[in-house]
Parts: sequence; C-alpha cells; structure tokens
Amino acid sequence: MTETRAIETDIGGPLESAAPADGLWHRLESTIFGAGGIVVLLAVWEALPRIVTLSAGTKLFFTTPSQIAETLWQMFATGSIWVPLSVSASGFALGLGLAVVAGLPLGVLIGRSPTLNAMLDPFITAFNATPRLVFLPLIMLWFGLGLWAKVIVVFIGALFPILINTYEGVRNADKTLINVVRSFGANEWDVARLVVVPNAMPYIVAGLRLAIGRAVLGVVVAEFFGSESGLGVMMVQAAGQYHVDKVFAGLIVFAGLSLIMTAAVQVLENRLTLWRPQRAGGE
Amino acid sequence: MPGYIQGRNVNLTFRPPNRGPVRALSNFDIDINEGEFLSIVGPSGCGKSTFLNVLLGLVKPDSGDLQIQGKPIVGPGTDRAMVFQEFGLLPWRSVQDNVELGLELKGMARDARRKVSQPLIEMIGLAGFEGHFPHELSGGMKQRVGLARALATDPHVLLMDEPFAALDAQTRDLMQVELLRVWQEARKTVLFVTHQIDEAIYLSDRVMVMTKRPGRAKTIFPINLPRPRDYEMRTTPEFNELKLEIWNSLKDEITV
Repeated sequence: MTETRAIETDIGGPLESAAPADGLWHRLESTIFGAGGIVVLLAVWEALPRIVTLSAGTKLFFTTPSQIAETLWQMFATGSIWVPLSVSASGFALGLGLAVVAGLPLGVLIGRSPTLNAMLDPFITAFNATPRLVFLPLIMLWFGLGLWAKVIVVFIGALFPILINTYEGVRNADKTLINVVRSFGANEWDVARLVVVPNAMPYIVAGLRLAIGRAVLGVVVAEFFGSESGLGVMMVQAAGQYHVDKVFAGLIVFAGLSLIMTAAVQVLENRLTLWRPQRAGGE
Repeated sequence: MPGYIQGRNVNLTFRPPNRGPVRALSNFDIDINEGEFLSIVGPSGCGKSTFLNVLLGLVKPDSGDLQIQGKPIVGPGTDRAMVFQEFGLLPWRSVQDNVELGLELKGMARDARRKVSQPLIEMIGLAGFEGHFPHELSGGMKQRVGLARALATDPHVLLMDEPFAALDAQTRDLMQVELLRVWQEARKTVLFVTHQIDEAIYLSDRVMVMTKRPGRAKTIFPINLPRPRDYEMRTTPEFNELKLEIWNSLKDEITV
C-alpha cells in the first residue's frame, strides 16, 4: 500500500505540481534578488543613523531614504517640482527631437551619397571625437543661460549617436533588395523608404538609446554649469544649502526619467522589429 | 522578322575600383519570340545574370542595340519583371505586402492592390499566409511569393535568374511543374537562367548555351518535346539525347 502510493506520487503529483512552481520561481528569481538587494541597502541606510551616532558635522551631509521620500513627496504635493521639471524636460525633448529630425535624414543622405560623405566626413569625425564639454563656454556665450543654450547642448550630444548609427545602418543595406525595388521602378526616395531605412532600423534604435543617455547628460551638464532654472539648477542650489535630501530627490527624478525613456525605446523597438526572426518566438 | 526581344552587338565591361576591367558581354546577339520560354545555360560568371539585369534595365550596356517590341530599353519598366535568385523578399513586409510591391510603386490604391494580389496568393497556394513574414516561410514558399510578386504587375516578359537554385531537389521539381502551369495560363515570354541542363530542357522551347566570359551566344537548341510536359519525359531517350548534346556544347566552356 505504502509502496504503491510512493510510486504514484513519484510519477504524478509532485512532478506536475512542482514544474509550474519551479518555472514561476525561475522567472521571478532575478526580480526577487534584484528588488531584495535594493530593500536591504535601503534598510541598512535607514538604520545607520540609529545604530551609529553621527557627529553634528556629519549630519549636515547625511540624509535617510525616508527623509528623501518625504522631500520628494512634498515637492510633488506642493507642486514646487513642476517648474524645474518642465524646464529640464523641454530642454531634453527639444534637443533630442531636433537631433532625430536632423540626424536621421542626414545619416541617410551621407550613407547613400559618396559625394556628401566625402564632404562631411572630416567634420563629423572631428566633431564627434571632441568632448562635448569643450563647446559649453561658446554655447553659453552665444545662447545665454536660457532654454536654447540647453537645447543646443542636448542636441550636440544626441546628434552624433543617431547620425553615425543611421549612416552605418544605411551603408549596410542589402544591394539585392535595392535592385529588387529599383526593378519595379523605385526612385531614390522609394529606395530609402522601402529598403534602406527599414534595414537600418535596428542600428537607428540602438543609436536612439545611446542618444537618450547623451541627452540626459546634456541637460545635467548644462544645468550644473550655466542655466537659470531646471532640475539640475535645483540640485546645485540645494547642495549649496546642505539640503542633501533635495539633491537626492533631483537625482531620483533624473534616474526615473532615464528609465522611462529607455523603456519607451524598448517598446518602440519591439513594435518596429516585429518582422525579425528572433522576436517572433517559436523556434 | 525581328524578335519580340532583340539584342544586337551588346557589349558590357565592368570597371570595378582598384581592379582591372572585366568584359561581361561581348557582341551578344539574341532573338526571343513572343510567348516563348527560353533558357540560358553557361559557365559560372559568363554574364548570363548580367544580361538579365541589362534586360531589366538595371545595368546599361556600353554599346549595342537592345529592344523589346521595337522599343529600346532605357530603364526598368512594367513590361518586365524579375524573379530573383535568393528570392529578394523584403523581410519587414508580409507576404501580401511583398506581392503588392510593384503595384504600390505604380501608385495603385490599396483596395485595387488587394483585388490583384488575392487571386495570385491563392494561385501560389499561400492563402491564409497573407500576414506571414518571409522568415516564417519555407524556401519554396518564399520563391512562390517572388513569382507572384513578379506576376502582379502583369509584365509581358518574365526574367528568372536561377530562381530555384536555393531550393532543395524535391521542392525544385515541384516548383518547375508549378512554373509551367503558370506559364501555360499566363502566356508570358520567359527568360530563364539556370545551371541545370535538366531544368532547362524540361521547361523550355529553346535552350541557349553561352560561351565563357566575355559571354556570347554559342549554340541554340530547339526543344521539340511535346507539351504539356510531365516528369516521366525526363527519362525518355529524346530527353537524354538533348541533355548529352547540350552538355557537350557546354563542357568546352567550363574551366575548373
């Protein structure tokens, strides 16, 4: 009797019930460990001033997660965050938008035209090899401390990843496919629309992801070194007044924005590359 | 009487950068009748694919005269369509959108395109696969899409550049049967480039053997086997005799 039961359980019960639970655990394992790590870190940080007595001087430079959360909540509740956030966001969006609008067609043109490539390549290479910070004094001199200086800084940072990746993708276009559409009477615009740009899309999306990072960096740099308002300005001012919690609050908002943008690009990429074998699943 | 497609003294030399010039076609003459199925066999690199590209209007010859229905070829046109060797399907387009490519470039409206593509998709046996992407199809299915795409614009001349070379032997046999059926229905003038003598004889009214580079027409073999043709025909003495004759003509041109 016992023996029979044992065999039964061996074949049926535990295996069947274990398999899905095992799968669920596998799927959640990294999430649980990832979230767990953050929770442990925050707990230790929060407990630190209660375990160790900090000197008055050290306290000036110290804050706790709960304090940061409180400050962040207050900033949203009173609405004091909206002005700097909107200033930073418009600088980011305008600069990145202009970089896409300029970089994408320019990348396609340079990739398709050997003449344009020969003409512009020295400028692009030189410009791209120069650290963007070098241009900051000039930009501030010419455009002042307002929105447009920020837009230019963001633009310069975001343009090259988009331009260069688009160019690489365009150069990689399948010559047979270009001949195919040509044989059906396609002109140069049709070739770009039907073959060259779709073919370059994975490169362009990778460039966009890089460009977003550069654009956020551009906002931060512009606001740290010469702007009238924005999240970065708020952080610098808060640091000057030893409001460490406020500095962290700004940092969290910046990190949050970057994460949202990266997720948006991921969604865009999944939509644009539905046709690719590795995305379709199955095999 | 001039041919439906007529070529006289067509010369073409490629001048790749950093390398010596390559003469692809030398005083190439050709005459093709309307509704005819003509195959071209020749050694690798003899210029037979190049000639198709010249006929398609993608490559301009250096000199010579090339006409279809008395009109010189100046560029791609809707009277001709090509079925490409590696299928040439746009991987980011569905079966339906690939079939409709030529119609779209002609500026045809969506509804009108559907009316043309739907019967073609049914004819090639891919009904139900309209929304599939090329990577989800087998090789044979892909080339059937390539064939439907070429037929969609209703060209007079169908150019086929080793269309079945990338398929396995069994699929190739089935595709040959299917091609003959389509050709007998639609009565296109077909120019078919291949490496396989069997395939050329089985499909064609005439088989042209080309010389090694620079390519010229060497011999033209009329294939007087009755139509419709079936698979058993490949085992008849007539078929094998033709095969031997063509092989004898071709083998002198092949250098290993």
